[in-house]
Amino acid sequence: MSLAGLDDPLNEGPPTAPTALAPAPVGRPNNSFARLVPNVVLIVAALFFILPLLALARFAMQKVPTVLWDWDTLFDKWSLKPLAVAFGEPEFWPAFRLSLKLAAGTVLLTMLLLLPTAIWVHLRIPRMRPVIEFVTVLPYMIPAIALVAGIKLVKPHARWFLNSDLSLIPFYVVLALPFTYRSIDAGLRAIDLRTLVDASRSLGSGWLSTIGRVLIPNLRTAIISAAFLTAAVVMGEYTIARLLLIDSLPPYQRILVGTDTQAGFGLNLLALLGTTSLFVFVSVLTKKRDRKRKSFAYAATQLAASQEPSPA
Amino acid sequence: MTTLDFISVRKTFGTTVALHSFDLDVREGELITLLGPSGCGKTTALRIAAGFEFADSGAVLVGGADITRTVAHKRNMGMVFQSYSLFPNLTVAKNVEFGLRTRNVAPVERHHRVAEMLELVQLTPFADRYPHQISGGQAQRVALARALAVQPRVLLLDEPLSALDAKVRTTLRDEIRRIQTEVGITTLFVTHDQEEALAISDRICVMSQGQVEQLGTPTEVYRTPTTAFVARFVGSMNEFRAEVTGPGEVAVAGSRLGAPGAIGFVTGTTLSMLVRPEDLSLGDGGLLGTVTSVTFQGATTLIGVRVDVFDQLVSADIGQGAADHLQMGDRVSVLINGANAVCEPA
Repeated sequence: MSLAGLDDPLNEGPPTAPTALAPAPVGRPNNSFARLVPNVVLIVAALFFILPLLALARFAMQKVPTVLWDWDTLFDKWSLKPLAVAFGEPEFWPAFRLSLKLAAGTVLLTMLLLLPTAIWVHLRIPRMRPVIEFVTVLPYMIPAIALVAGIKLVKPHARWFLNSDLSLIPFYVVLALPFTYRSIDAGLRAIDLRTLVDASRSLGSGWLSTIGRVLIPNLRTAIISAAFLTAAVVMGEYTIARLLLIDSLPPYQRILVGTDTQAGFGLNLLALLGTTSLFVFVSVLTKKRDRKRKSFAYAATQLAASQEPSPA
Repeated sequence: MTTLDFISVRKTFGTTVALHSFDLDVREGELITLLGPSGCGKTTALRIAAGFEFADSGAVLVGGADITRTVAHKRNMGMVFQSYSLFPNLTVAKNVEFGLRTRNVAPVERHHRVAEMLELVQLTPFADRYPHQISGGQAQRVALARALAVQPRVLLLDEPLSALDAKVRTTLRDEIRRIQTEVGITTLFVTHDQEEALAISDRICVMSQGQVEQLGTPTEVYRTPTTAFVARFVGSMNEFRAEVTGPGEVAVAGSRLGAPGAIGFVTGTTLSMLVRPEDLSLGDGGLLGTVTSVTFQGATTLIGVRVDVFDQLVSADIGQGAADHLQMGDRVSVLINGANAVCEPA
């Protein structure tokens, strides 16, 4: 029997593509009402997101008082000058650069701490996952001001550290945890972690090599998402930066709103659009890759799940 | 010389004893199958050999060297897993090359070895495909090529066929055996599928509750099971109530027959006698019953008979000539050949 040909029986069998194991596609609802509801929800959500941005844009870049604003003046006196003012301020670029540094540092520290931890939890103590999830969500539930109060207590004893601009990084790691952990956790659930790790180790890779050559490439989407979420948190965090008198972008924006309201709000608008664009970019970038790999990962994880209780 | 030895290996998970004083020696170039029901400890034994788990006590030797505490990535074992374990981000060729890169093998040698391995599993045309672009059977063949590429000392196969459908499973099983024989690598194969074990192994190690029940060739395990567990687990069995009437002799429903398995039991003891379907035949003077099913199997025919005296269903593997005209409802007389019967106290 020839095994090399494409008609080889071994070329058949359960494909790694999702046809055999993926759940059957959910049928579309038939009645028009059921079709309408999601569209209405989508439109309302879009308006909820877009209308404040439009209002912000008008406030920042149109020199028409609200009392005179009607259909005739809708497109009058729009100008990018407030943005030019914002970018022209001498404090802007140092603040922006510092925020970028903080974002990069936070992303790096988050990944160094979180990735091995999440992998360890998934592999060695999966029963602790709900506990870890609860702990990581705490920064979301406890207001940042509580963290600030804590920092205030320790500040006299740790000035050597807290006086540095980069001292914000550990706090931002904590603040971003609810988002980053979930992203990494979802990524780890989507792959057959144990088998990939075992396969890599049986082929001679140590832990570092396994993480670097096997896990990170297969968690790329989760890592990129976590990185952008972290960056978004850093670029928008005001309370702690203000308390520690560190001139990152958010405190600068606040000051600018006080001195030149239109320029300040213009900058806020740009920051919001920038963050949104990043997420759209990441989503588009990773969608194709996901679609390709999902089938194999899905088949592998389904298989692993079906064989779960078999240590022996 | 590469042999694999387990010496009194014990492993517990909490209060569960997965392996209880487990002894096994796999000879050079031999394929031994660990066969047993779920939870019998076969996968634990394999994972201990691979270094993914460490034994609580006892020792694991490869080629005589103690590797009991050696970490997995320094053991030089090749392993194929139950689930698809290919790295989704790498092509077929890169997957096969993975272990060679880890070992810093020179590029020319790497490419040569990858080509050789893909040729061995006959997947050369698929070298540039990604795992999601190949079938399950092909994925397992790539996993086998990847495991063999690093020239491991021992090959470990953890139910590599269980995810595949019957047709592919049979073909790949034969393929694994061909490659194993060709490469001559010492192999430990784990399965719960007795048919698979009987077809592929040099020897079978039947396991139950963390211990070896029987170690022997497929023929020995099938034809002369040493315990009732092995007899019941490997192949199908008919169970008769029998009474010991003398040394190596029992009576089943009043009919006397020789049963070497009954040697050692005191006369008068009631036994449970396990007899294979092929050790039952049709002929005069046996147990009377009614045919309840007739299943044509090619060379033989499997018939189900409800025996009057026990009101019990037995199955008999009958040669073509004897079963040609049998129909459901026919009255037959079933003879028992007790030569290979396994006996245990009822």
